Amino acid sequence: MTRLAPVAISGLGCLSGAGMNLAENLETLFAGRRYPRPPVRFSTDHPVSYPVLELRSEFTLPLDEQELTYARTSQLALAAALEALADAGLEAMELQKKRVGVCIGTTVGCALNCDDFYRDYKAGSMPELAIIERFLRSNPAAVIARHLQLDGPVQTVVNACSSGSDAIGLGASWLRAGACDLVIAGGADELSRVTYAGFSSLMITDTGPCRPFDVRRKGLNLGEGAGMMILQKSEDAGPQRERGRVLGYGAACDAHHLTAPRPDGAGLKQALREAFAGAGATPAQMAFVNAHGTGTPDNDRTEGRVLREVLPGVPYLSTKGYTGHTLGAAGAIEAVYTVACLNRGEVPASIGFVDVDPEIPVPPVIANTAIGGDMALSQSLAFGGNNAVLILGKGGRR
Amino acid sequence: MAVNIQGIGAVGGFGCGVEALRNALRQGSVPPRQVTLEHPGEAGEEFPAYLAATGELERFIPKRELRRIDHFSKMTLLGACLALEDAALLDGDRSRIGVVVASGYGPLKTTFSFLDSYLDFGYSCSSPTHFSNSVHNAAAAHVAMQLKLTAPNLTVTQFDMSVPSALMTALQWLAEDRVDQVLFGAVDEYCAVLRYCRRQFFGAGEQGPLAPLELARQTAVVGEGAAFFVLARPESAAAYGRIDGVCLGNHQRRPVRLPETDGLIVGADGHHRCGVWYQQVITGRQVAACAPVYGSFPAAAAFDLAVAALALRDGNLTVDEPPGGDGQAVDVSRLACLKFAAGGEYGLIRLSR
Amino acid sequence: MSVKEKLKKVLIEDLNLEDLTPDEIDDDMALFGEGLGLDSLDAVELVVVVQKHFGVEIKDMEEGRPALQSISTLARFIEEKQGQ
Repeated sequence: MTRLAPVAISGLGCLSGAGMNLAENLETLFAGRRYPRPPVRFSTDHPVSYPVLELRSEFTLPLDEQELTYARTSQLALAAALEALADAGLEAMELQKKRVGVCIGTTVGCALNCDDFYRDYKAGSMPELAIIERFLRSNPAAVIARHLQLDGPVQTVVNACSSGSDAIGLGASWLRAGACDLVIAGGADELSRVTYAGFSSLMITDTGPCRPFDVRRKGLNLGEGAGMMILQKSEDAGPQRERGRVLGYGAACDAHHLTAPRPDGAGLKQALREAFAGAGATPAQMAFVNAHGTGTPDNDRTEGRVLREVLPGVPYLSTKGYTGHTLGAAGAIEAVYTVACLNRGEVPASIGFVDVDPEIPVPPVIANTAIGGDMALSQSLAFGGNNAVLILGKGGRR
Repeated sequence: MAVNIQGIGAVGGFGCGVEALRNALRQGSVPPRQVTLEHPGEAGEEFPAYLAATGELERFIPKRELRRIDHFSKMTLLGACLALEDAALLDGDRSRIGVVVASGYGPLKTTFSFLDSYLDFGYSCSSPTHFSNSVHNAAAAHVAMQLKLTAPNLTVTQFDMSVPSALMTALQWLAEDRVDQVLFGAVDEYCAVLRYCRRQFFGAGEQGPLAPLELARQTAVVGEGAAFFVLARPESAAAYGRIDGVCLGNHQRRPVRLPETDGLIVGADGHHRCGVWYQQVITGRQVAACAPVYGSFPAAAAFDLAVAALALRDGNLTVDEPPGGDGQAVDVSRLACLKFAAGGEYGLIRLSR
Repeated sequence: MSVKEKLKKVLIEDLNLEDLTPDEIDDDMALFGEGLGLDSLDAVELVVVVQKHFGVEIKDMEEGRPALQSISTLARFIEEKQGQ
């Protein structure tokens, strides 16, 4: 892995259970508030109710009638992308003159989880294809490209829970390779009955608010949302438009187990090495780490061990307590938070943490904490053993 | 940056392995299998499909290891193993071989098996095994686990654009020196629900035979399979020629520029909504369209790429002019694979010897 | 069919252990690690198997862990719950 040219982040956008835009999200985080509650948008006959973090209000988008029929994931993606474009001061018309790529991570956004349709099909009736047509129209990256009338490369990354981080890292590569003038990169995922059933069946969901890195952690809370970045070549964005920078991206696979992380964290360590090499940076230069920190016993143990070994003394936190685990969006939302926190010079408390786990001797930050430095790291671990690490830099524009 | 193709692995309706694909191409088409439907609304009806068998996987991986691996992942694994074998990489250090998998629809059967588990027995009986195998990257994860591939691992889904889109990233991994080789491939599977949907969409159009160059007519026949490639940087040896680059765009916004003198393989596969785009750009030109060898499905764009690689190795390609005829073999040293989606999105992959 | 016999049968079917016959699974053989060689994903699938075929709920892994040691311990757990 050789050192890579930094890529400028000229706009940020984000929505989650913590807020409908980036400003609201940050307000919630730094106020130490969170809103887990039983799911409202769907129901199941599951005997136990697990709290989730849904969006707390409906979002409004300038969409035409047909676009309003897109799946929720794609609408979330579009909402965050439009916020990021506005933040970058870019008009849709300007984009049509450029070669603009779209690289979006998701899980639910590409799965044919049409259980209503399938129930009818199983029962022997002939269900109509409206749900299938909606699925075929709703590929999140294609939706953004279509809405903005773009003609560059389009890619939906489906690396499970690291998809959002991967999409940003890959989008930065596209720019360096000269394949695009600008890339809209990030992740989006909606809460769904299917993932709710799936994560419950894996017995890794907490019946209360999640407790990342705490000794009594029982599992994750699911969430939904989207995080987006506008990526440009540094020379195109110019320092006054730079909100931040993508400095490094590393990825590696555990090749160990479908759902459990490799206990020694070898894959995560490899991804970290790649990210540091690409950024030409050292662990000691990191102002903080936005950890994956789902609140599941296995994830946090592996991650905690690796952090102590590779990034000793660097403050870390999990923001999953505020947003829940937003799956394919998580890495992107957290990357957006990471840049915003670097610019603010402060990270929020790692909510949900109370007592130290002897297996993770160094606790996350327990209060809003001032940080120095101009680089930070955001990492994701995923089903299938994927590990993705982003090293992000502070912007000229705060 | 150009990359070399060091090995190919393919499994589909034509059989298993690159030589089976080559033989099928020589014959020009493969008879699809007749499948009988069981859904009450269409029970007893027969229709053609190009289906893949994965029995040969046991040559590479012990049966016990396969117990939790579904058909989708088995096709993926088999394609991956065959490609590594073809490139003589099955033994030795594989720690810098990245994995990139493209799929239009992901593991459909297991997605529905997971829904079955809770629709049949209630949410508390949702199957965690089906759930974790229903995520799109399960197949790439099984490839990594079984073949001990610890380098970056990526799954991409973009319907008909999955293959060119994923290839773009595979090429960049090599350019950025993230990996020494990429095991790049695509996979899609048939399932009864897919067939139901296609029948509702296309009616009798799905009865075959596939006539890919009759561009205005719906003649698609559903298929499944996996095709994989070992790609390496230009300083390595190329067994099949090289990929010079890939370009993605939307023909409606900015028309695709086709290389004028290259041989052309089109991904036309009997879908008339995509056919209109091919019509616009290939009129008066001789092209190859090989869907009658493997069927119509998003991952088949990777089979087109395998056809291109074989043609470059052998030095000739059989081409035709729409609406298709007997075809004739022409010499080739440069080739392009063109794939359109219904909305005018295109992927153009350029190759040379 | 006894609980143990039924357990072995559904274990083979639902965990796709087709290379085994019920006779080859010892009542006291460890289900995980050395022994039958099952893993954490099988453990949560077993929770579903027990719910589906025996109507017995395992609430969480704290409750499940002691039960999921062997066919004997699991059969005893099921019989106790069914007797309640």
